Amino acid sequence: MNYLSSHPWRVAALALGHVELVAAALAVALLFAVPLGIYAARRPRVAPWILGTLGAIYTIPSLALLAVLVEAFGLGFLPIFVALVVYAQFMLARSVAAGIAGIDRAQLDAARGAGMSPGQVLLRVEFPQALPVLIGGVRVAAIAMIAIATLGGYVGGVGLGVLIFNGLTLHQPAMIVAGSIAASLLAIAVDAALRLVERSATPSPTGAR
Amino acid sequence: MAAPLLTNCSLSGSAIRVASKNFTESFVIAEIYAQALEAAGMRVERLFNLGSTQIAMAAMRRGNIDLYPEYTGTALIDVLHLPPIADSRAAYATVSRLFKERYDLIWLTPAPMNDSQALATTQSIAASKQLTTLSDVARAAPALRFATIQEFLARPDGLPGLQHFYGGFRFAEIRTYDIALKYRALLEGRADIASAFSTDGEIATDSLVVLRDDRHFWSAYNVAPVVRAAALDRWPEIPRVLDPVSRRITDRAAQTMNASVEKDQTDPADVAAEFLKR
Amino acid sequence: MNPSSVRFENATARYPGSDRNAIDGISLKLRGAELVVLLGPSGCGKSTLLRTVNRLVPLDCGRVLVDETDVTQRNPVELRRSIGYVIQAVGLFANMTVAQNVGVVPSLLGWDARAISERVDELLNLVGLDPATYRHRRPSALSGGEAQRVGVARAIAARPRALLMDEPFGAVDVVVRTALQRELVRIVSELKTTTLFVTHDVDEAFRLADRIVVMRAGRVEQVAEPFELFEQPASAYVRELVHAGDDVYRQYFVRSRELLRS
Repeated sequence: MNYLSSHPWRVAALALGHVELVAAALAVALLFAVPLGIYAARRPRVAPWILGTLGAIYTIPSLALLAVLVEAFGLGFLPIFVALVVYAQFMLARSVAAGIAGIDRAQLDAARGAGMSPGQVLLRVEFPQALPVLIGGVRVAAIAMIAIATLGGYVGGVGLGVLIFNGLTLHQPAMIVAGSIAASLLAIAVDAALRLVERSATPSPTGAR
Repeated sequence: MAAPLLTNCSLSGSAIRVASKNFTESFVIAEIYAQALEAAGMRVERLFNLGSTQIAMAAMRRGNIDLYPEYTGTALIDVLHLPPIADSRAAYATVSRLFKERYDLIWLTPAPMNDSQALATTQSIAASKQLTTLSDVARAAPALRFATIQEFLARPDGLPGLQHFYGGFRFAEIRTYDIALKYRALLEGRADIASAFSTDGEIATDSLVVLRDDRHFWSAYNVAPVVRAAALDRWPEIPRVLDPVSRRITDRAAQTMNASVEKDQTDPADVAAEFLKR
Repeated sequence: MNPSSVRFENATARYPGSDRNAIDGISLKLRGAELVVLLGPSGCGKSTLLRTVNRLVPLDCGRVLVDETDVTQRNPVELRRSIGYVIQAVGLFANMTVAQNVGVVPSLLGWDARAISERVDELLNLVGLDPATYRHRRPSALSGGEAQRVGVARAIAARPRALLMDEPFGAVDVVVRTALQRELVRIVSELKTTTLFVTHDVDEAFRLADRIVVMRAGRVEQVAEPFELFEQPASAYVRELVHAGDDVYRQYFVRSRELLRS
């Protein structure tokens, strides 16, 4: 049961592929989720529909969604990448919306009254204050995506899931264990790293950092 | 190795995509092909563990993958829906021609190994009961105990087919086992004959004997790289690289490699590397 | 500095979903540099009227003119940068330091960093906060009174010629409130801004106002200097409101106004 120690470079290469997959998917997911979240925060009546729909999508079993995406995109990187982007929407949009909606109305009134354009209110007041919440959402999403991304091993050779699914096919439990442990360690490391980022984005009252 | 993002551009198509199906032997052979191509300077993207022949073929025809190892028997029966052909050369000629005509897929030089169905027994039983061919077993069946898997009793080229084609094969006792435990019954003396695949690892490691299909009931199952014509145009050196490698994959070699992966728990990548070094 | 003129002509506005006008046909003219208090109970339309000046509330009928220009003719963002705005909840930007808050409007106007920095120090001193101590503090580390001082500093940072204040001292405790009122009077007279101040507190109105606009149910009951409300209340409502018949109150108001303005 020590595949990790006997094949460290292979595991490391797969882990790197896993990180790249999740990071790329997170980046692209944010491109959609941030505008969606801002829109939901601005329209409280429409918000439940948007977030509800994204939430419903999130409950689609990953394997089922993946099968559909493989039909559309073929095997390899693309279907699992798209699946991750889709799944991440719910957690990310929700945290953007929560972050923005959680801002004190008085600040928005003062910002408008001071002569900020809507874009300036967003950039100078809303976004900086929503950022810690957003980073928290990114952290939660990243960890979920690290887990879901193991399915990449099922549809075409990307990430630590390769070890897990190969191990299942080849009846080599050591591979399965190695893949699972590596994925868990990755999740723990990402969680710790993003907590640090979250903390540094939250300013302290006296202005010290 | 999982290709990192920067080189993972199946969109730019600069790496050849090699696939395997979801069993050990397919993995090992695909890995052999992949490493041979890498040694020749090509970039390879691995899409192993595909769920079935149908999935692999669909992927080939859509251009999702470029190359994978396929068996002549599987191609005949499961893809072309033709009756089995026992003669290796004839089987290869047929699938080769039809795959080119219908799917624009090319079969490269096949390996000598023939992973067909088989019946196996221990050396001592073969000696004491004088069994060398399937006809021998067909006749001697009433005195023999048979260990097999459930699937073999149901498939047309399993026991029913044998009984129909050869006659006889009325065993004294038939017991079904889990695929992993089947050989143990044989080795522990609880059965005399077991169903098998001729490249199973146990045949090498446990010194089993494969009984000859003297009347050629079973289809040939020779493995060869199947490539998309477009990929061959793009990388014309593929046959030059893979042909010599294919020729070295004998039944014995396959048995040994399968055993190495399943029994010794060796990574197929290491097994393939070992094979290519020899 | 030249204070702005502010004029309302038949100003009428109704909030969506409401069955009556929040302000109804109000006409009013402010003289330059005066501090006018809009006085009335909650719901009388005083905040609404205030917020039509910087276009935070749109008019349904009538006009508001600042410096004789209809405010709807001006770009709203540009208009607001030229008018100071202070609210009861202060609304300091939690992600910015005190210095950054105070410097917000100059920064929006493109002042250079040094000019902003100097102005911030100047203003913090003006509102009675030591720059060295307060520059780098965050809003969450300020008391209510300190926060509103910063709010006032922020509102006047870009030297607006008009100032809108919506119950700015309502959330501050009583002891601090008096100090802030006194300082406001001083600041406004020094800066010569035209100031519109909303409150429901009669006492506060009397202390601060050059003129008081008494409002009820979206309309103006009376516009007068404080003592005129005593001497000649225009209606029973006004009389009640300012305790016009009560000598004790009269003496109290006379005295407190004197003290504040000395």
